[in-house]
Order: sequence, then C-alpha cells, then structure tokens
Amino acid sequence: MAQKSWMYSVLEAVQHEMQEDPNMLWIFELTPPVASNPGRPVINLETEFGRKRVVNTGIDENWMASMALGASLVGSRAATYIPYQGNTMCFQVIQNIAGKLRHMTGGKASMPVVWVIEMTGQTPGFAGQHSDYEADTYYAHIPGVRTVIPSTPYDAKGMMISALRSPDPVVYLYPAGLRTLTGEVPDEAYEVPLDKAAVRQEGSDITIVSSGGGMPGVLEAAKTLTGEGMSVEVIDLRVLKEMDTETLVNSVAKTKRLLTVDQSYYTLCPGAEVIARVAENVDGARYKRVAFPDAPPPASPEMFVWMRPDADNIAGAARALV
Amino acid sequence: MGYNLKSSVPPAETGDAPSSESRRGFLKMAALTGAVVSVSGRRALASGNIGFYAKDLSDEKLIEMYKTILRIRWHERTQADQMLTNPDYRGYNHFYAGQEAVAVGVCATLRNSGPLKQLDVVYSSHRPTGHAIAKGVNIREMIAECDFRSTGLNGGYAAEMHLSDPSVGFIGADGIIGPAPVIASGSAFAFRARSSDQVAVVFAGDGNYSAPHFHSTLNNAKLLDLPLIYVMENNLYHQYAHYSYSCPHTDIADAARAYGIPARVVDGQDVVQVYNVAKEAVDRARNGGGPTFIEAKTYRYYNHWGAPGAKAGELGAFGYDPLAITSFRPEREVRAWMQRDPVDISRKILVDWGVLEEARAHEIEAEIKAEIEADFEWGLSQPLCKPEDGLTNVFAEGSVPARQFG
Repeated sequence: MAQKSWMYSVLEAVQHEMQEDPNMLWIFELTPPVASNPGRPVINLETEFGRKRVVNTGIDENWMASMALGASLVGSRAATYIPYQGNTMCFQVIQNIAGKLRHMTGGKASMPVVWVIEMTGQTPGFAGQHSDYEADTYYAHIPGVRTVIPSTPYDAKGMMISALRSPDPVVYLYPAGLRTLTGEVPDEAYEVPLDKAAVRQEGSDITIVSSGGGMPGVLEAAKTLTGEGMSVEVIDLRVLKEMDTETLVNSVAKTKRLLTVDQSYYTLCPGAEVIARVAENVDGARYKRVAFPDAPPPASPEMFVWMRPDADNIAGAARALV
Repeated sequence: MGYNLKSSVPPAETGDAPSSESRRGFLKMAALTGAVVSVSGRRALASGNIGFYAKDLSDEKLIEMYKTILRIRWHERTQADQMLTNPDYRGYNHFYAGQEAVAVGVCATLRNSGPLKQLDVVYSSHRPTGHAIAKGVNIREMIAECDFRSTGLNGGYAAEMHLSDPSVGFIGADGIIGPAPVIASGSAFAFRARSSDQVAVVFAGDGNYSAPHFHSTLNNAKLLDLPLIYVMENNLYHQYAHYSYSCPHTDIADAARAYGIPARVVDGQDVVQVYNVAKEAVDRARNGGGPTFIEAKTYRYYNHWGAPGAKAGELGAFGYDPLAITSFRPEREVRAWMQRDPVDISRKILVDWGVLEEARAHEIEAEIKAEIEADFEWGLSQPLCKPEDGLTNVFAEGSVPARQFG
C-alpha cells in the first residue's frame, strides 16, 4: 500500500493484467503509457511489453476504438487510451457497433474491450473543445456498453481491473482534472464492481450525488456544510451505466432531499437521470440540479470559472434545499 | 471520371498579381545561365516545371510580404516574451515561428479584402496566429483576444485556438485535428455550386495525415473537382511525435497523388517558392481545374505548445519541455533549421533582387517590432469579459439560463 496518483494506479492495473495475459493489447495516440510514482518503479507499458502489443498510432481515434473492438472479437483483450481532443471521434463504433453487437448477434459476440475516454481537465482559458465536460452524458446513453467514471485512485485501479476482466465493452471515463489526486492504493490486483455507487459520507438531511470531475467540489462543499451542522450524505455514482438505482433510492428515502451536481451540461446531465430514477421510487422528496449551463465553455476565465459549478455553488444550492 | 462541373465556372481572372515587367535582376541572371524559357510569353520557368510567378510581383507587394513575415515573427516573439516575463499575462499560443513563409506565400496569392462573396477563405489549425496575420486579421484585436479581453477579435470567447474573422475570409482556427479540411471542402463545394471563382484553402499539419478526414477530403475534392487547396505544413512533429510514427510516406504529397490530385513539395522556408506553387494552385482552382495539394517542408522553432524551453529575448525553444514525454527534438535539429530562417531568406531575396537595400530591410524590421509592441500595449489594456456574457452567443438571439447555482 502506498500513496499513488490516478494514472499510476490505472497503469498498475493494466500492467498486472498484461503480465497475466500475453495476448492483451494497449493502443495509445499521443499519451504514452508511462507513469511514475515516488517509491515505486516507473511503469512503461511500451518498453515492458514491446511494440507488437503496445503501440502508438497517428491521430485517428476511430481506428483506435475500432481496432480494440476487433481485437476483442477474436479473443484478445484490448484497451486504448483516447485523448480528450478525440473523445467523440470514436463515438460511432462504440455506440452503433459495440453497444448493439451482443444483442444483435443473439449473445454470440463477446467484447472484452476497454476504451479509456479522457475528458478535459476543464482548465480555464482553452475554450469549447479543450475545456468541455460532456462525454459522460453521451456515453451513458448507450445500451450494451458499461460506462464507468471512477473519481479516486483506489477506484481507478479496481475498476480498471474489473473492466479489463469484463466480457462486456466498457467505456472508462477519465476526467483529466483528477490527474493530480493521490490516494492509498494497494499494490496487488483487486476488483471494484462495475455496478455499484459509493456512499462517500453518510448523513440524514440531504443527499448530494455527483461523479468524476464533480466529486472534489462536492466533497469540499459537504465539508463546509457539515461544519455548519448539516447532515450531508454524499454519493459518488462511479457507474453511469448500469446506474446503481438502489443506493440512490435508499439514500433519498431517508433524506428526502436530493441535490445532483454535474460538470456536464444541464440538459440530460447524469443528475437528470438520477433525479428521474429517484422520483419514480421516492415520494415527497425535493430536488435540485447544479450543472454547467447549456452553453459551450468560453475561453475567458472570467466567464468560464463563473459558469463551472464549484463548492460555493453546491453549498448554496444545498442550503436552499434543506 | 467524376463530375464535370467545369462548364459552370466563370473565366479565370488574373488575380491581384500585376502584369508588370519581370524581376529585372533575376531574369538577367537567369538569362545568362540559360535557365529561363518563356513559353507563354508571361511565364518564366524555374526548376523545370513550376512557373516563377513571383517575377510578376510589384516591389510594393514583395515588401508587404516581407513585412507580413516580420509581423508574424514579432507577434510570436513578443508574445513569447510576455509569457515568459509578465506574470499578469494569461495568453498562450501554439507558436508558428519558423513557418511564416508558408502562411505568407500562400495568402499573398489570395483575395484577402473586398466583398464577402468574392473573398478567398482560409481554414486554419490550432497553430493559427501566422495564418490569421497573413490573411489580414487585425493584429491588435487578435492580441486582445488571446488574452481573453472583451474587445478582442471574438469577444474573449475564442482565445488562440478559435480565432475567426470571416470579414477577411479567415474562417478560423480549430483546436481539433481532423475536421477542418473536410469542412473547407464544403466551402469549396459551395463556391462551385454558386459559380463563384473563390477558392478555399486549408492549412493543416502533418498530424492530420492519419486522420480519416484527410483521406475523405482528398477523395471528395478530386471526385467533385473542388476549388480546394490543401496546404500541408509538414513541420515534422505532431505534438511531440515525429511524423514517421503516423505516416509511411517521406513526402506526404505522395498520398495526395494517389488520390489523383496534383501535388507539389515545396521549401516552406522560402516565401517565393511557396508563392510560386500557391499561385499555380490558385490559378488552377479559379479555372475550374480542381484541387491542389501543397506539402511545405518547414519547422517550428518552439515546442508544440506555449513557451517551455524558451528564454525571454531569444528566438526558439531549446530547453526541456515537460510535455515531450516520448520524443524530444534534438537541439541541433532546431538550430540546423534556424540556419534557413524564413525572415533571413525573404530579406536576402529582396536585397538580391534590388527591391530593398539591406539597411532599409533592417529598418523595416525595427518598425514592425515597434508596431507590434504598440499592438500588445493596446491589446493588454483592454477590458476583461463580464462573467454572465458566457450565457450569450449560444444561439443567434437571447441567452441560456444559468444552471451552476441550482
């Protein structure tokens, strides 16, 4: 056990699975599969496993995603790292082929494939394409693809192991804003399930639900609110499909207040689905959504930082709801 | 094969190159060596098969091209110095220094002012400031935009990667590798459909080769005979990877030839060579002759993004770039390319041709430098954006609701 960064934890999982399975493949574009961590050996998948199994391509995310699917269809597990600039270039093959294939083939197709879909770090100043946070909504909509979004280094490793071992195609969303997070991560391989939300903090006054890049702001707001005497329950979705309805419903049945927080656009953000599922199952609760407005992120930091939900916004919305 | 759309195209116009007398010094020298054969009466041939169209350029135009190269260069250098020395400066760039002759040589063949329906258009990349200046974008407004000012070229919404000014035919930059050439071919299609002799130019780097969009663009441009000029600026690296990682060709132009498109490989450091091939391409496109592919061999003096490795007051970046994880350019490679600097080459040509005295050429550079400094002073004193303006410009009218407060 050691403090590990997000990416080191992910590559540790991939390295383990590739050592166990000599057929497994990793395809990258401009982000080399290299990570270092204090007190730990450098991981470099390319040099460890060689360029027959680990190779970079040109800028062609459609090929990367399709290639990984094709490898999986003939029994070689495959994973690929799609950088945020191309994180919807690969959409069609995931949505229209992989998502439907098991069903369309009457269950004959097996697809042990993982697409690591990077999302931006939402860094102010980069405008529309390099600051956006929206792919969670798109990928969560696809049937037949497990879409997960770990928010801690521990989950990042455990969910990567589970994803690589799953016979189902997995979209593994990686909000790059989390790259600076570190956490206690075991050295050995372990699995975190692909269908369970995590209750990060228990409470009885309000349930705040978020995921991925929204979690740091939610945890900060929860700390502030707890300090003010509010009893806050915090749920990290971790999985967008299949969403863990039971954990959500049980929580709101208790708190009767649900605040969802998304960095994604307001319309059809994951929180919209959370509220719908809870509303179908819990009577007499109150609801609120905090999300990015339905506008592309502008370049100007003055505009962007104001539009992006932060801990103050979240705490304010929670106070208004309780 | 393909659609014959040629009959719908208006007769070629002569462009903005005056039919002046040829360049005296050059022709005299060329005649002595026997290199010049005047076939059409208005064309001197150099290197066997490319018209030496630059012979027809007026002194004023040649000096303006030199000045434009200098404006790009000093915009880059001044901005790099701002990034390195001014803690309040927030702008950034994917620097273009080293590639100036490509943007200027190409844009000098285009219609950059006049009625909108007659302008030639340029699609740029994520390395756009050189293209923007060459196309005629207002430099001080661009500087304000790159520092997120509300009076900037695009109101602070765009910053560097989305600069756009349709009023000069600069459709704009794009931060994503792939789509721009395909979209440019749509503009070219529209020009053909409305019987206009406008042309569409797309600047894209070697990284674009591997994207499916590259191949789709060339295939459709050829099939439909589109007035599209694809300027591939091969600066050897996409981000930090050498282009040999993503393209099996030494000359990417070979790929265009496979699609049946006339292709030229040109020295991208020499503005006159670039002008010659671009003029050939523009004439072809205006005459209904369809697309042309130009591969300009060139080099960027800075790293992929920003100014890591650069020092204030010095041209180029030689130091460590933390983003260059796998491949890192050898300093000697950068310095070798800097021996063939587009500013030096253009100055030498003008002096050799008797267009300018060397001393005057250097004076001009000092004037341009001062002009750019004044532009930065203006740009960086402009007002910042109002936060709530982020909710506007989503649709043509109105604004969208704030959702970040719940």
